Amino acid sequence: MKTFKIKNIIALLLLGAITISVSCKKDYTDPGRATEDQVFTTPKGLTGVAVGLQRVYAAGRASSLYNLVTIDGLLTRQDTLLNPGNQPEAQLTAGGNAVDGTNTILAGLWTSSNKIIYDADLVIANAKNLGDKGFASGLIGYASIFKALSIGNMSMLWEKVPDGTGTNVAFIDRISGFNKAIAVINDAQAAISANAISATFTPNIPAGIDIVNTLNALKARYSLYAGNYTQALSAANAVDLTKKSSLNADASNLNCIFETCTSNFNVYQALDSTLGLPLAVRPALTDKRVPFYVGLSGAAAYRWVIKGFYAGGSTAVPIYLPGEITLIKAECYARQASPDLSNALTELNKVVTKVPAADPFGVGADLPAIVGPLTQQQTLDEIYRHRSTETYMSGLRLEDQRRFARPISERRRNLMPYPFRERDNNPNTPADPPF
Amino acid sequence: MTNCKQPIMKRVKQIALPVVFVFLSLNLFAQTRISGKVTDKAGNGIPAVSVTLIGANAGAITDEGGVYSFTATFRGESTVEFTSIGYKSKQVKVKPGSDQTVNITLENDVLGMDEVIVTGTSAGTTRRQLGNYIATVKADQLNKGSTGNVLAALQGKTAGAQVTQNSGDPAGGLSVRLRGVSTLYSSSEPLYIIDGIIVSNASTRVTNTQTGYDGQRFVGTIGTNKLSDINPADIERIEVLNGAAAAAIYGSRANAGVIQIFTKKGSSGAPVINVSTSFMINQLRKQVETNQAPTKFGGAPDVLTQDILLPALTTTTAVNRTNFQDYIFRTARGTDNNISVSGGKDKTKYYLSGSYLNNQGIIQNTDFSRFSFRSNIEQGINKWMTATVGLNYVYSKANEKPDGNSFFSPMNSIIILGNYHDIFTRDALGNIKAVGERGRVNPVSVIEDIKQQQRTSRFLSNIGLKLKPYKGLTIDYTMGIDNYAQEGNTFIPPFAYNVNTAFWGGGLSLDPTLNGYASAATSTYFQINHELNATYTANLTRDIVSTTQIGYSLQYEKTGYTLLQGRGLAPLIQTVNGASTILPGADARGEQSISGVYLQQNFKYKNKLFLTGAVRRDGSSVFAENERNLVYVKGSGSYIVSEEEFWSNSSVSKWFNQLKLRVAYGQSGNLTGIGPYERFNSYSSIAYLGRTSFLSSSVSANTQMKPERQNEFEAGADLSFLGNRLNLSVNVYNKKIKDLLFDRLIAPTTGFSSRLDNFGSIENKGIEILIGGTPVKNKDFQWDINLIYNRNRNKVINIGSPLSLFSTNAGAPVALLPGYAVGVFYGLFFARDANGNPIKTPAGYMVSEKGTQNSANSYTVQRDASGQPTGTVLRKVIGDPNPDYTATVTTDLSYKKLSLHLQFDAVQGGDVFNADWRTRQGVGNGKEAEKEHLGQYPRGYINAIYAIEEWRIDDGSFVKLRELSLAYNVGKVKGVGDITLALSGRNLISWDKYKGYDPEVNAAGQSTLLRGIDFGAVPIPRTFSFSVKARL
Repeated sequence: MKTFKIKNIIALLLLGAITISVSCKKDYTDPGRATEDQVFTTPKGLTGVAVGLQRVYAAGRASSLYNLVTIDGLLTRQDTLLNPGNQPEAQLTAGGNAVDGTNTILAGLWTSSNKIIYDADLVIANAKNLGDKGFASGLIGYASIFKALSIGNMSMLWEKVPDGTGTNVAFIDRISGFNKAIAVINDAQAAISANAISATFTPNIPAGIDIVNTLNALKARYSLYAGNYTQALSAANAVDLTKKSSLNADASNLNCIFETCTSNFNVYQALDSTLGLPLAVRPALTDKRVPFYVGLSGAAAYRWVIKGFYAGGSTAVPIYLPGEITLIKAECYARQASPDLSNALTELNKVVTKVPAADPFGVGADLPAIVGPLTQQQTLDEIYRHRSTETYMSGLRLEDQRRFARPISERRRNLMPYPFRERDNNPNTPADPPF
Repeated sequence: MTNCKQPIMKRVKQIALPVVFVFLSLNLFAQTRISGKVTDKAGNGIPAVSVTLIGANAGAITDEGGVYSFTATFRGESTVEFTSIGYKSKQVKVKPGSDQTVNITLENDVLGMDEVIVTGTSAGTTRRQLGNYIATVKADQLNKGSTGNVLAALQGKTAGAQVTQNSGDPAGGLSVRLRGVSTLYSSSEPLYIIDGIIVSNASTRVTNTQTGYDGQRFVGTIGTNKLSDINPADIERIEVLNGAAAAAIYGSRANAGVIQIFTKKGSSGAPVINVSTSFMINQLRKQVETNQAPTKFGGAPDVLTQDILLPALTTTTAVNRTNFQDYIFRTARGTDNNISVSGGKDKTKYYLSGSYLNNQGIIQNTDFSRFSFRSNIEQGINKWMTATVGLNYVYSKANEKPDGNSFFSPMNSIIILGNYHDIFTRDALGNIKAVGERGRVNPVSVIEDIKQQQRTSRFLSNIGLKLKPYKGLTIDYTMGIDNYAQEGNTFIPPFAYNVNTAFWGGGLSLDPTLNGYASAATSTYFQINHELNATYTANLTRDIVSTTQIGYSLQYEKTGYTLLQGRGLAPLIQTVNGASTILPGADARGEQSISGVYLQQNFKYKNKLFLTGAVRRDGSSVFAENERNLVYVKGSGSYIVSEEEFWSNSSVSKWFNQLKLRVAYGQSGNLTGIGPYERFNSYSSIAYLGRTSFLSSSVSANTQMKPERQNEFEAGADLSFLGNRLNLSVNVYNKKIKDLLFDRLIAPTTGFSSRLDNFGSIENKGIEILIGGTPVKNKDFQWDINLIYNRNRNKVINIGSPLSLFSTNAGAPVALLPGYAVGVFYGLFFARDANGNPIKTPAGYMVSEKGTQNSANSYTVQRDASGQPTGTVLRKVIGDPNPDYTATVTTDLSYKKLSLHLQFDAVQGGDVFNADWRTRQGVGNGKEAEKEHLGQYPRGYINAIYAIEEWRIDDGSFVKLRELSLAYNVGKVKGVGDITLALSGRNLISWDKYKGYDPEVNAAGQSTLLRGIDFGAVPIPRTFSFSVKARL
């Protein structure tokens, strides 16, 4: 009797132990996430990563868009800080040495830009392995937009920019950065001209993006910045000015500037109706773009509020404006080796006289045409006035100020210090510029 | 499976047969009845003394009066051993044949040398044998401090432990650090085991679910931790293992130490009913002083709420100032009720209990309530087999307000508001008004309208089987299950006034698609662990006893988390259904398993020299297959010098009664050092503009990373003098953690923000001293005094980079630098002249030091021609939240039936990053702002100093009157036995120089890295309680 009990119990216990040890499974996978292999070998996975690039670029206060518009807007006095408790914004308002490597807005733009470049490279490389070439060219074109914007944005703010991604990457000067962005666009355009974007691709990405026109527009922008006027002009001429291309927003993914700034008086608001421009290049009082971009708050807290492309939570933000493209053409004519001031004025006047209803985004000065002839300098001054007004709060003014040789006093800092996160971990990080 | 079954069965037979023969032979002898009474020196019966006939698997537990009896069968002279917590063990020889009475007196065991320690063994061991320090806290030490939280009750009770209450919320979290921080990436909280169940002490957010809280490194680990579900009244004792040397037997999850909790068991005899009830009052200990200046700068408060930081404003407006603290704080009440029945007959013993706790928070409309039932049953199946079952059901509920890290928490709603607003006036529709133009939340909305509640339904169960099949062999098996569902709701109703969209308002236009927020979240947790141990004890020679122990452990855990959330609420609807904008939800699942085997060998020589060695192999599913299994070793020895003959013969022994020397070495890992899937580099999915998007992580993980490895060396001595009236224990330790798992910041140009891998190492060195004395002891009067002193030096040795600086929600610049303690504050500091006095600008402003930064913590100061700092802004280590030392003094006085208990806790030398104090100055409600309003500071003074982080470093040292208890034992009244009345208090007085409410605070909750941050956290209240206990 006892014999059996003991034997059975001990045997059971030991068997139990063996059973659980054998059945101890240790390879669990996360049902909520997909591995790199899964993501980059399927069209759906690649598209998801590409849509993720747009999200990193445009959604929330950590996005490239918020950081770019904020850096540019505060440094060139387009906006005014309302609460210095927002420390990184306060640094940018103080300018000069106050802007340092700890600035989280600079670090944020640096980080999101490099993240986008890293993932875009993977999308572009793996898209080439897809059988459906039309789908692949859509992916390459779409991902290249955000890669080019990321390289271009860094090149607008830093003296030197990383030459790719990886450990201890080397740096190239900012003009080479623009050319690098252009090379990305060229590759994308080559893929699209080889295999047109298929109709099956477009429904997979958020509405609002016109891939072909955006690539040409960005190529025009960066070619102009790189001083390649011929290329800039031909790219600008390739843009269909009746088309819109925008970063959309909705109630779950609010317009990032609206969410943080427009909706309250706690961060920053639009400076005023001068749009932060000195008297000589200020918009005319009758310029209809001013009431488009800024408005009276009606509140005692601060007189002015941001309008335009940050007016509401669901307001779409253009990636480029048709007016910018027209002004690129004007500037190319004015600056090319043998300036064509007549064509420059013609293009400029297209922007000056544009009525809001004629612009896809409703941006229109609706002013009388400028009567020529103008000297080259006069032309450039007028182009600066209208670029600054037309592209208010687009993150482009700092680059414009340097190109138009505006007095350094018009900006609070010229070129940005490198984020400490980069400097502490990459020995190739260049020295900070003095201002 | 079937292949491996056969040989095992054969082996079982080989083992089992001899066992059976031994058993049968034992049964041939006649039964002897042994009975008697166990008393203390005063002649009172001692209950719950374990009486065992060594080697015969027979014995009993004394009843309430100290009486025991049992029958046994044995041959020849045998030994009966009497053991009980707090008393020295005694052995008495008995002879078989005739029934006999053995009455015995046990002596107090002040050092606890012969106390049975269950931790780490299946058969239990005595402190005498241990090579390392293990603290034991008994029930009566836990219930004097008027708290319903077991971790709070542990404050100041054990050496080597720093227990910090991070929040004064009634369900606020507590952190426990045993010998400092043991890891950087995962939780540094110890492993908790209750009656063999590995229990979760997680802090999972099911309220405060808004996206602003994402990022543990940014906000911290906030909220209640789950040990708040445990009722302290059920606890018999707690054993605390501080380090790897002690914990090796628990395997590699125990790298931050182990806290073992044992709940009460029944003992033979008539049912005993214990009832207790208490009434508590909680209060804010002190208010902070506020600005009383009659004016503010700029226009009326509604037009311009924040004046101080806009130095261009120099006009003034007369204002009325209100103390908002009077509004958000209250005197709170609570009650704690317990009833238990315990007893036993024959082979059945039981303990049943029920409890109900309800405690209000000092913030209006917050409370915590908990009820629990427990039954512990032990059933002897036959002479050599015992089964135990423990079942514990807990339901807890907390009504909360938003966590301090948001701007709409009760604390922050008044901290970020100038104290000149009229927050109470309502318009014709009954709506309160906006507070100024910045879209802040009116504190009245926070207190009255915002609702958060979380509920936990938890079931803890353990079953155990203990076999003593033949002399010297013990086999036991324990299965533990911890299962809970924690659900929470957050409800921010649409505001009737302008509230920033970032605070879930509708902005200037009261946008109905954005105004208001609701969420429902559920966290589920299931953990099952199996522990199988076998211990074999044999006398190798007359003097040498060998104990061999083998064991197997398996743990499996499955977690789930779901979140529904939305904004833009319909009026009246509190659920997510009422949201016009559904925000991205969450559905996260985790699964992991850990298993291990160990072998431990102990030799004991003449009860004075003990040597133990152990080896353990553990594997965890969170690591890659070829990295997950690691082998850990431990070794320890102890030598009781006072047991030597030369000692007892010498005159020294008359006053120097005991001397024990011990040394231990142990290794452990951190098998839960990363989350279940963190070794994979994966893409998470989130909806974006109606499409699917995949996002790569900001962390790049080394898929082949391995568990951390901790090496701890400990040495110590236990001494007792003057007839055990004075006792001293000293421990020194050095623990080093290498292959540290850490997500170190990397250059963003890699495509990632950080890299998770094995980087570098940290160390903790320290000393623990315990002194206990009984200066007076006579028939009526006894005075005991105890001192605990802990000093821990934590240091980062290497983290793979010269500096890792984390930006945090509170603005605290938390950093890791080689050579400095974990989590120091690193940032801007004041420029000072050669005499250390601050340099001021001609305008009278303080300035940040400038010059050339040579490395992370070295710099060259530069001055311009006028003596002002010039160059780049410099940074250095400006503060350290880790204390220099912690100490506790406890004194217990008893006179006849009256007793007085006092406990003072000291935490000295740590800094607090006082973000709230600065904010009060910036928004104009603090005392520094008052000086600027009154013209005592130049206008712009605060604005100039505002960004200098050193300004926020505050002295976190304090001494607290932690516990006070005055109890009177009435004795029997009309048949009701043993009534005790007690008046007690907790956190009654704090002696500190801190500029906020209470330096014992951490807005980052139970975070490992983010410590000593004061940002909107509710201060710890002062508690008074009156309690009645009775035994029926």
